[in-house]
Amino acid sequence: MRALVVEDDPDVGPDVVRALEAAGFVVDLAQNGDDAWFKGDVEDYDIAVLDLGLPRLDGLSVLKKWRANDRLLPVLILSARSDWTEKVEGIEAGADDYLAKPFQMAELITRVRGLVRRTAGHAASSLTVGDLQIDTRRMTVTLEGAPVSLSQLEFRLLNYLAHQKPRAVPAGELAEHLYGSNEADDTNAIEQLVVRVRRKVGAARIETKRGFGYLLTDQRT
Amino acid sequence: MKRYSLQLRLLAGAAVAVFVALAIAWVAMTLLFQRQLEQQVGQELRRDALQLIAGLSVDAAGSITVQEGPSDPRFDTPTSGLYWQVSGKSQIQRSRSLWDQALSPSAAADGLQWQTRFADGPFGRRLFLLERLVQPPGSKDRVLVQLALDEGELRLARTEFGTILAVFLFVLWVVLSGAAWIQVQLGLRPLVHLRRELAALRHNAAERLSADYPREVEPLTRAINDLASARETDVRRARQRAADLAHGMKTPLAALAAQSRLIRAGGSDPDVAADGLDRAIAAAAAAVEAELARARAAASRHRPQDAQAAPLPVAQRLISVLERTDKGMRVDYLVDIPDSLRLAVTGEDLSEMLGPLLENAVRFARRRVRVAGKALDGNILLSVEDDGPGITSGDAAEAMVRGVRLDEAGGGHGLGLAIAREMVEATGGTIALGVSSLGGLRVDLGWTSSWALTG
Repeated sequence: MRALVVEDDPDVGPDVVRALEAAGFVVDLAQNGDDAWFKGDVEDYDIAVLDLGLPRLDGLSVLKKWRANDRLLPVLILSARSDWTEKVEGIEAGADDYLAKPFQMAELITRVRGLVRRTAGHAASSLTVGDLQIDTRRMTVTLEGAPVSLSQLEFRLLNYLAHQKPRAVPAGELAEHLYGSNEADDTNAIEQLVVRVRRKVGAARIETKRGFGYLLTDQRT
Repeated sequence: MKRYSLQLRLLAGAAVAVFVALAIAWVAMTLLFQRQLEQQVGQELRRDALQLIAGLSVDAAGSITVQEGPSDPRFDTPTSGLYWQVSGKSQIQRSRSLWDQALSPSAAADGLQWQTRFADGPFGRRLFLLERLVQPPGSKDRVLVQLALDEGELRLARTEFGTILAVFLFVLWVVLSGAAWIQVQLGLRPLVHLRRELAALRHNAAERLSADYPREVEPLTRAINDLASARETDVRRARQRAADLAHGMKTPLAALAAQSRLIRAGGSDPDVAADGLDRAIAAAAAAVEAELARARAAASRHRPQDAQAAPLPVAQRLISVLERTDKGMRVDYLVDIPDSLRLAVTGEDLSEMLGPLLENAVRFARRRVRVAGKALDGNILLSVEDDGPGITSGDAAEAMVRGVRLDEAGGGHGLGLAIAREMVEATGGTIALGVSSLGGLRVDLGWTSSWALTG
């Protein structure tokens, strides 16, 4: 696993590098915006940890340039500012997660691992089921070319069903995947979620196989 | 004119205004004097003319005889400047003062009344002329009677008058300007006093301007006093907050010092020492975070006039941030806010209120988080709910007690709730805790109609 750490602080940067190396990553350190943009643009990293306050080119601009160039590596933003407006700006610029300084190193490692896990195996970043197109990296869905507005949970449900196709997925397994656990009334919650997704992508696309679970089909209606 | 003296402006203004007024007066009075002078000279000439006509006779042949001219000796002195002339059809009689010259005939003269005019006369002089057609007794023809005075005499009188008047008016101008200077000095004296008092105010913030100012200056001094009071309050509050922050940092610093001593003594397990250090750092971070939140709340007290936020997109954007977190992506978000709902705060402020509440809700939620909004009787209501364990009424009361220090609010729902409360109250809203129909905590925010906007 390769990671790029972008941090200009002479103490924090090497500290993050050491922690990530201890966690099994091969790490490059960039100490200014220009260097970060160049490295992220030419090398293939599995994750970038990006500080926002950088000399020469600020972190948000680096991120926007990467995304404009189709560099889709997962990015965890670090910032000394903790206001929500900046968090929203960061996420909308294409960041995948946000961590405010000062942070616990263990928290950073957990977040980085989570991001890598979430985006791993998405090398083939697009999946097509009939006229439904699922972009697993950008986490967007288009229906006949038009974007469908889905929440994260709804997207993950659709994505999981698409990956398990042509197998029908039981509600319990879905709950396990979506919530990370399976409790007594989760089947209900999954049912409600499926109803909402059906409303957005067309009712016939998710078929209920009695006794087996839910199945994504190519049917339009 | 960047730097100017108020005194100089007032003085210059008064001097110029008085000067202009006096100049206009000079012109008007000189004109009036001239008219008066012409009337008077005309009357004198008419008196001479009547004397002349009394001794005037014309025989049948048209020959004019003047028995006795006007008595003024100047008529008999050549080129004296005072002349008479009687012109008949065949003969002209004139005063000795005209010598061998003649007055120019007039087309305008008639037999009805005496007329006056200015005309070029003999000896290269301008003349003031009085003339009339007269029919002497026993004569069939009318003769033109003309009397003239050198215009120079009129001009001399006029110039003399104008000069004397100008000198007088100049003296008057000096006197009036001096009076204006005294007036300005008296009028501006309160400002000099004000400057002294302001200097004192700068040295001592508790000082205030006295109340014995003229009615025109008093609103200014009262405004300055109010400003000084507001600034003093601000400074006191800022000092209090700096002290709070310093206190908040003291405990973590003491803990750090203790850890350092333990490590030096070698009696500490490195893991335990590191845990202690982390705890101290977390406490310091919380103190700083709380202070930042309070600073933001203080800033949002002064809302811009045209501030307007749409809760729906704000909530959606916040959720898109929370969905990126490990816990946040496992939560089902139910958003029930009308698209047209508007609130008179800035989008940033609304984000800082809803952000911590949503973050809390996600942290404690089991499966679902609901954020709802509606306008009711012109009031705006927003709510954030989760299906987590909720908080006990005791904790709720503690979290909502006014004046609880944010950094003392502790973990759990505490810090987020306290930050949101600061923000909501700074924008004139209310915040209340309850039990959600989802099973967990429900936080209700409300703003009265003056904060609502129709979208």
